[in-house]
Amino acid sequence: MMNLESPRQRERVTGWLLLVPALVLLVAVFAYPIGRAFWLSLFTENLGTQLEPVFSGLANYGRLIGDGRFWQSLWNTTVFTTVCLALELVLGMGIALVLNQAFFGRGAVRTIALLPWALPTAVMALAWRWIFNDQYGVVNDILRRLSLIGTDITWLGDPTRAMMALIVADVWKTTPFIAVILLAGLQSISRDLYEAHSLEGASPLQSFWAITLPLLTPQIMIALLFRFAQSFGIFDLPRVMTGGGPAGATEMVSLYIYDTVMRYLDFGYGSALVVVTFLLLVVVVAIAAIILTRAGIDVAGDNR
Amino acid sequence: MKHDPDPADANSFQSFVRRANQIRLRRLKLPYLLGFVAALLLTLVSLSRPALTQEPVNLQIFLRALEATQMAPFAADFNAANPDIHLEMVEAPNTTTLVEDLYTSAFLLGDSPYDLVFMDIVWVPKFAAAGWLLPLGDRITEAKLNDYMDKDVDGGRYNGELYRMPFRSDVGMLYYRTDLLEQGGFAPPDTFEEMVEISQALQGTGDADWGYLWQGLQYEGLSAMFVEILEGFGGYWVNPDTLEVGLDRPEAIAAVEFLRNTIESGISPPGVVTYAEEEARRLFQSGEAIFMRNWPYVYSLAQESGIQGKYAIKPMVHQPNEDSGACQGGWGFGIAKTTPHPDEAWRVIEYFSQPEVQKQFVLETGYVPSRRSLFTDPDIVATYSFMPDLLNIIEQAVLRPPIAQYAQASDILQRYLSAALTGNMSAEAAMNAAARETRRLVETPESAAAQLEVQGAA
Amino acid sequence: MAIAQPQSQPHDTREKSTPSKPGPSKQPINIRAIVLWVAVVLTVVFCLAPVFWQLLTSFKTNDAIASVPTVYFPSPDQLTLSHYTELFARRPFLFYILNSTFVAIVSTLLCLALGAPAAYALARLPIKGGGILLLVVLFVTLFPYVLLFLGLLEVVRAVGLANNYLALIVPYTAINLPLTILVMRSFFQQLPKDLEDSAKMDGYNTLQMLWYVLLPMTLPALVTTGILAFIFSWNEFIFALTFITRDVMRTIPVGTAQLGSASVFEIPYGPYAAATVVGTLPLVALVLIFQRRIVQGLTAGAVKG
Repeated sequence: MMNLESPRQRERVTGWLLLVPALVLLVAVFAYPIGRAFWLSLFTENLGTQLEPVFSGLANYGRLIGDGRFWQSLWNTTVFTTVCLALELVLGMGIALVLNQAFFGRGAVRTIALLPWALPTAVMALAWRWIFNDQYGVVNDILRRLSLIGTDITWLGDPTRAMMALIVADVWKTTPFIAVILLAGLQSISRDLYEAHSLEGASPLQSFWAITLPLLTPQIMIALLFRFAQSFGIFDLPRVMTGGGPAGATEMVSLYIYDTVMRYLDFGYGSALVVVTFLLLVVVVAIAAIILTRAGIDVAGDNR
Repeated sequence: MKHDPDPADANSFQSFVRRANQIRLRRLKLPYLLGFVAALLLTLVSLSRPALTQEPVNLQIFLRALEATQMAPFAADFNAANPDIHLEMVEAPNTTTLVEDLYTSAFLLGDSPYDLVFMDIVWVPKFAAAGWLLPLGDRITEAKLNDYMDKDVDGGRYNGELYRMPFRSDVGMLYYRTDLLEQGGFAPPDTFEEMVEISQALQGTGDADWGYLWQGLQYEGLSAMFVEILEGFGGYWVNPDTLEVGLDRPEAIAAVEFLRNTIESGISPPGVVTYAEEEARRLFQSGEAIFMRNWPYVYSLAQESGIQGKYAIKPMVHQPNEDSGACQGGWGFGIAKTTPHPDEAWRVIEYFSQPEVQKQFVLETGYVPSRRSLFTDPDIVATYSFMPDLLNIIEQAVLRPPIAQYAQASDILQRYLSAALTGNMSAEAAMNAAARETRRLVETPESAAAQLEVQGAA
Repeated sequence: MAIAQPQSQPHDTREKSTPSKPGPSKQPINIRAIVLWVAVVLTVVFCLAPVFWQLLTSFKTNDAIASVPTVYFPSPDQLTLSHYTELFARRPFLFYILNSTFVAIVSTLLCLALGAPAAYALARLPIKGGGILLLVVLFVTLFPYVLLFLGLLEVVRAVGLANNYLALIVPYTAINLPLTILVMRSFFQQLPKDLEDSAKMDGYNTLQMLWYVLLPMTLPALVTTGILAFIFSWNEFIFALTFITRDVMRTIPVGTAQLGSASVFEIPYGPYAAATVVGTLPLVALVLIFQRRIVQGLTAGAVKG
């Protein structure tokens, strides 16, 4: 029997009691599906096998290596993630710098700047589809009025332009997230540093490079890490806005996985796709975590 | 604030707890309020769920918003004549693949809300192989099925069992401009070569801007179009019996090269690789092209355009020694295996299978019938004069491979065809890759494992 | 009570200080001010334009929607409410709203009920391997939940939760848990330790103390994390698409994305726009009311410098 008389012992038991419900839920919703995917990926379970699992070793992975569509979707996802992150960082930094200034109505602007982040992506994707419509879309109309284009541009019908439209929509949606995090970082930088620096004759731009950017590195890294994970798994935006088209040019890994399972009923292969994507993600996050730790940034927020 | 001691300075803990409790009482109302709202909502939601216990049997069918509108009067007639059944049409989006995916999720998840399935012909093998459909063979005699087009019935079978009753048919065909051909002194072409020659001759004299229009966009219509060209070249896609893949055979590569050449030689507009049915139809109706591959729906629409009375239809062109190919499409009814009311569902199908109902539907919509007799029905011919011609074409129709993995096979083909047609890959490289991926798709796990071993040993 | 300041840092004085200090001479201040205002206007336009455009579209007649050149500000005869009425007449849109609200509220409450005690345990109680648990929780925060649907689909089928609100509530709760735990934990850590010591001296056990003393004090934090969880649940798409196939049980994002039109070649942009407005209105309200709390939650969850 455990000695429940010792207060420390009792606290330990209470602690676990408090933790267990949350942990059980996390295991059930996160650990089980991923573990299950590892197991299922060793089987062929599709319409060819009447949806019965048949052990096939690493055959799914062999198929994956030669699967042009998977590699294309991985490439699409990489391009999308990279461009989005770069644009969002620059824009988010700009907005954070603006919101960090004092001006009349700052509170209202901060609220407005948060709005895109809070709205449902799937619903706003429909709005973007309308905005980029080739005949009646407002983007083409503005470009026409500015005489930048003579004929209508088919934004969502061309591989490159569809990707651009998708990136615009995502940048709009998630820049506020980065801006908010960078703003928090900016607020923790002491003004004295800037004042001292400007007394030495430095311009605001020089101060930005010499003070703001280095001191903001932790926030930048963490914002990028979060956004990388979200952007790598993006689903609702391309699904509703372009459906992965045209010609698969905006098909992301998540869309391909969804199609493989929900359209082709290829569960074994879909599991292999989940596993590979999961491992890729773990590798990137691990590398980022190592870099963050080396840089002395406490990711876990452990103040102890 | 003066009378409110700062918590940090509170020397009596009791007083602090009392204060905290007051805060709790005041503040914790929010969660209670939220809980109350949640409970209220739950009651509302559960109350407003239709209570159907004593009412007629409710049957749900899911179809595209357009079809739901077209069928609504028939459903109303059915409901009026059958007070014990209520047929409810749930509107789906208009994209076919999206409807397929939504049906798929519903059946995959279990607890499908749909009792009846309104099916495109290419869904049948997948839905049947997955075990989502009720076999219909014991509900109808072969003699009655003989009233329908053979391919329409065949397309509803999987492994010899019938899962879909045909309702309306569809078939690909060649539209041509009778006035332009007459003017140049040409007979309607039978072979690819003749079509190319006529096009170049008439384009050369400036009588037409474009020779041949087809669907080159990456979507299901591309596969349907290609099946016809492939058949005309004597090739095949997937043999449903042996699961042999023919996409990298010389005939298939020649078929792709033919399509690619129509663009390169200026017979087809460069934009044809972004055309679906509608883009091709609009350009053809504007009078700028001589030939077009399309479905029958164009025939009646084009009567209201500038080319009225100046066009005709015929079976697709082909290589001199090969057969003409016409891609079989069409829609029909199936019964979901999970439905608690299969007999009532069958009564719905019986209603929609009646010759009079199908005739009325064809008259009102201009769709192609599935019943052979309707093609020559005087009333229908009076409205749609092309129907008898269509019968000749539809008798030669070819099915897209009736394999369970069709959706995936078609996506593979579309992707590589698109790559070849836009010039991103050579025809040979694209078809080799498509064949390789299709083989990997249709092969059994055993053969896959064997193949992997061979690769490993090499 | 300054407890609602998870990111409170020693240098956090900038927000309160008056900002017009920098700038050595008068001339640059003016340029600065102009640049600043241009930037502010650009920010506002960037953030609001798509929403505003959708709002305008939702009130325009079909003719005005599909007119070239585009009608920006519709004249009175181009205004209509028909897209809104169509939304509720042709589709069970009211159900979509009720479903979304119900699922989001329940999963938010569940998430707080499970997350807050766990966060307290991780913050204060002697848990062996607590550090590792925390790392795991952090990794899960980053996890793209798209990868879970295949496995969860099996579970949902096995347990018979198809077309059941629980099939959404449980995953939403779990997905929101990691962030809730991280944020709540940092709040708990900032509470003075003396409080618990004296509560114990007064004979409260840990659970009583948590319920009667600590939770009331962390109410601001609960609201903060609760709003984040609510927004996520309201917006979630892939599970709502996969686990609910009954039309009257759909949530707003899925219901909106699947609106159809009575003509094949016409996309129902008017109803789409109306649905956008109706579906986003609650969130706009939340952002307007709780902007500060949302920012606190986001930064507390993501940033620990």
